[in-house]
Amino acid sequence: MEVAAARLIGAGLAMVGTIGAGVGIGLLVNGAVQGIARNPDASGDVQTNMILGIAFTEAVAIYCLVVALLILFVG
Amino acid sequence: METPSRKWRYGVNRWIILGLVILNIVAVSYYSPVLPHIQLPAENVSETPLFGNFYLTNTLVATLIADVILILIAIAVRRAVRSGELIPRGIPGAIEAILELINNLTESTAGKWAKSIFPFFATITLLVLVVNWMELIPGVDSIGRLEHSEHGYPIEQVMPGVYTIVPTSGESAGEAHEGGYGLIPYLRVASTDLNFTVGLALIAVLMTQVMGVRSLGATYFTKFINVGGIFSRPAFGLLDFFVGILELISEFSKLLSFSFRLFGNIFAGSVLLFVIGTLIPVFVQSMFLGLEFFVGLIQAVVFGMLTMVFMAQATQGHGEHHEDEGAEGAHA
Repeated sequence: MEVAAARLIGAGLAMVGTIGAGVGIGLLVNGAVQGIARNPDASGDVQTNMILGIAFTEAVAIYCLVVALLILFVG
Repeated sequence: METPSRKWRYGVNRWIILGLVILNIVAVSYYSPVLPHIQLPAENVSETPLFGNFYLTNTLVATLIADVILILIAIAVRRAVRSGELIPRGIPGAIEAILELINNLTESTAGKWAKSIFPFFATITLLVLVVNWMELIPGVDSIGRLEHSEHGYPIEQVMPGVYTIVPTSGESAGEAHEGGYGLIPYLRVASTDLNFTVGLALIAVLMTQVMGVRSLGATYFTKFINVGGIFSRPAFGLLDFFVGILELISEFSKLLSFSFRLFGNIFAGSVLLFVIGTLIPVFVQSMFLGLEFFVGLIQAVVFGMLTMVFMAQATQGHGEHHEDEGAEGAHA
């Protein structure tokens, strides 16, 4: 198999890992929305912590993307 | 007395947008956009180095321009503060709102070290914000100098001294003939350069350790090398030692995660803008510009907020976690 073909396949496979981030963010927002529904006065605090948690979770998806881009464009 | 309220109507803006879309379609039929050569390291702005072996890269130029913008904003804010008016208007008012938000966040998390931690949070957030939003300005990443490359395209002269890239008819990107020209932009978003993000991450992690030492003294390092309990409580002492080693490893992973989170988000965003702009040249890229607006904002705030949270954790040490949880709960 040529290197160029292997690169394309590798980049596609590397992005499969973003499923985990999708599930994680969905769970996070689920908990945050339920928290706001129970206690609307705390919505500022809950929202801040939710954004923080989303940034951490999304970072894992970004690692997958970085690996895919490295496979495609570097070397 | 009721002032007669005007019914809101669409007005003239929709005609302006329609006019711009038609202009876009006309322009695309003459010169359709081509996919630029995407590479990870930043490109050199000029062929000749400045001095010795040091080339000026386009991300360095963008960082310097962001610095100038921040200094101008600081001068404007200082003038508004000096004038003595209690409620500033315009840009100083917006900066006051942003800084008040950041200050409240810092005080609710950090407690008495908020005064030392706030400058880092605010500086990192404002710098990364200005740098990320430079991606939205037309001309960044698209105006530059041409040079020979093997992924080149033929060029055509539009005005004396100004050239534009013309894709040969009916061919896919990157397959062009040798001797064509490729574009090297004069400005490139600084967060897409690993030097910028790793540098900021190094500063954040290093100052976290400095904050820890400032607040706890040299006993801060027993967080990492925790040999106190090995002889007094054998089993748990050994476990504490391994937890300390794990903390050390997690400091290095913070370095990696800071730099790659910012880099990955913004680099992926700019690659997305390039590809979408090439595939559908009319209007669709504007929607992704809106997405990039929010991504840039959130990544700037998250970088700063995580720095602040890690510094606050470093000043708190081991056994005081639980009392501070109670204080924070009573706070809100």
